[in-house]
Amino acid sequence: MAEEKKGRAVATSTAASIPKFVRGNLSATLKAKEEGKKVAAAFIADGQDEIMRAMDIVPAWGESFSGVCAAKRDAEKYLQKAESDNFSRSLCTYATCNIGFDMMREELGQAPEGAPWGGMARPDMMLGNGQLLCDPRFKWPQATQHYQQDVPVFVTNMYYPPWDPNGDHHEVEELYVKYAKEELHETVKFCEKITGKKMDWDRLAKTVELSDKTWDLFIDTYELRKHIPTPMDTGDAMNTMVPLTFNLGTQEAYDFYVSLKAELEQKIKDGIGVADPEKFRVIWAAGLPSWFALGDFQYFNSKGVVFPVEVTYRGCEKIERLDLPKTNDPLEHIAWRWVRYWTHWYDAAKKRPGSTPKVERIIEYIEDYKCDGAVFHSAFSCRSWHAGIMQQAATLKKVYEDIPILIMEGDIVDISSYNEADTHNRIDAFIETLAAHKARKG
Amino acid sequence: MDYFAGVDIGSTMTKVVIVSDKIVASLIGPTGPEHRKLANRVMEEALKEARLSFDDLTYIVATGYGRINVPFADRQITEITCHAKGLQSLLPSVKTVIDVGGQDSKGIKILNGKVMNFVMNDKCAAGTGRFLEIIADSLGVPLDKIGEISLTAERIAPVSSTCTVFAEAEIISRLATGEPIANLLAGIHDAVATRIAALVKKLNVEPDIAVTGGGAKNVGLVKALGSKFGRELLVPPEPLITGALGAALMGKDIYEKYAAEGLKPSRSGHKLEEATFFK
Repeated sequence: MAEEKKGRAVATSTAASIPKFVRGNLSATLKAKEEGKKVAAAFIADGQDEIMRAMDIVPAWGESFSGVCAAKRDAEKYLQKAESDNFSRSLCTYATCNIGFDMMREELGQAPEGAPWGGMARPDMMLGNGQLLCDPRFKWPQATQHYQQDVPVFVTNMYYPPWDPNGDHHEVEELYVKYAKEELHETVKFCEKITGKKMDWDRLAKTVELSDKTWDLFIDTYELRKHIPTPMDTGDAMNTMVPLTFNLGTQEAYDFYVSLKAELEQKIKDGIGVADPEKFRVIWAAGLPSWFALGDFQYFNSKGVVFPVEVTYRGCEKIERLDLPKTNDPLEHIAWRWVRYWTHWYDAAKKRPGSTPKVERIIEYIEDYKCDGAVFHSAFSCRSWHAGIMQQAATLKKVYEDIPILIMEGDIVDISSYNEADTHNRIDAFIETLAAHKARKG
Repeated sequence: MDYFAGVDIGSTMTKVVIVSDKIVASLIGPTGPEHRKLANRVMEEALKEARLSFDDLTYIVATGYGRINVPFADRQITEITCHAKGLQSLLPSVKTVIDVGGQDSKGIKILNGKVMNFVMNDKCAAGTGRFLEIIADSLGVPLDKIGEISLTAERIAPVSSTCTVFAEAEIISRLATGEPIANLLAGIHDAVATRIAALVKKLNVEPDIAVTGGGAKNVGLVKALGSKFGRELLVPPEPLITGALGAALMGKDIYEKYAAEGLKPSRSGHKLEEATFFK
């Protein structure tokens, strides 16, 4: 049985509509069969969103499902199930929670009783993709295929040029785009084979166009948070990222940000901030959150600390800023958008000796959003992203400024990693450090 | 005369310090599960020592893990900030503090008594006082003697396990093979110091470096830590009261800041009486 948990309030009413979005995505997988649609186990930021949407393939987001289980504090039974077949708890707990659920669903022939919002449907295919972000995403589909052996797996990757302060990434970008484009074309062929339908390329082009508009609108909306006091902070952003992250290429996602933007503009007009008074502004500089402890953002807020900006789940940029070459191939456009999303920080990083693109991005946000400090979250089971956090924090202090930094420790799904009293103690000490730092700066 | 009290409820010990223009009383007692009751008792003892009544106290600040459970305190401030403040008054040249507590270790960077940065270890008993307690118990050596004994070692017997439970098993098996206790204790102190140093070096460590908390009373640990940082580390006269002293001084600062503007800070209004929370 799930542990009783106090509900978490959100500052914006638009964010309060997110559970319906998440539930809708899960129930779409359950309704897909009766609607004659195919379901694909899919991964975020994989470049395949628009392909799936244009082919009426329903994505089953394993990462989202595990996050929901964690937020409901009901992931333990799935983690234990995966552990029973020797999946270590130190593996990605998004993966192990999802694999545990898949194992139970296969044994029962249906979603386990009490699965959040009915759980997820059995997929007709699995689209794996590591994206230089995440090594488990290569092996996760293969691991879960042990329990669903008739479900075909297609694993791709879309690389981008590695950061080299002495190299010129512009010289090699095109090669990476070519590779990524080929991967996406192969994905289309795979999906055509499974669905028995041909890709409608005009529909795909329109879907990609809608995604671009959504990227732009997302940034326009989030930049309203620069206002002092900020009308929305990271506590809400961990909800409002859902349409961009899981519903890219849909009108619903675009419309969501239209509503959010209107609400933030109204809050600014009315002078309503997340915290009253707003004492300190800090950046969520890296790391996925502990989904079972999102209430910690409110703990910060209750002490006058707000997060006007975060790196996490800001998986887009103003299209204009990426300076994308013109192309009639929507897949080539996706490939360029993917590569430039990463490399457009490279030139800025080169101008600051010792810096890196990830650190440069943090510095830009600190300055644009007028932040007094930075919080990093180190989730133990997410090596691929979190392993570099200490180095990022150290580089930030070295090349920019000795600003107060808090490194929080926990996990994304596994609640046994979490100690609320200790976390709050660290937050209190961090806030006192922010005060001392601000007083010193005058 | 105005008197200010600091109450530091740590995971193992509860400390109270009362100051005016100097320390007028300091008391240390064990922390039990009933923080509030114990805080009352230690405070009563400290007041007796200072020949004061509770009403003589102008302002009270609570700190430490149990700071929320001090109903008679006027304000709660974290032990990180209080250690920085306390150290500034005791050893003003210190820029880096290593606090080795019963169940956690911390590194604190300070500048003019203010915290500039900090790191904490708490997910694991290794690198804390609790680790040393368990090993002392396994070896049948009093806790307050293990540091001195470790200094008599002929060599440092390496202890490879970083887990407290496994290290305990390793020690017992090494003992069975005839390794002298002193060598094993030197190995244990070296292992704890290595772990703490790895934590603290995440800060940009600057001298002078001081050690506080219960771990600072262990001469073997202080020496082992010194070897990790390549210098002699400073230890305040009574390292356990640093946080409580800092809390009392923070209270004094708060009061004086208000007084400079002709104001008084708000008080909790609570009396020094046994709380009913745990009944």
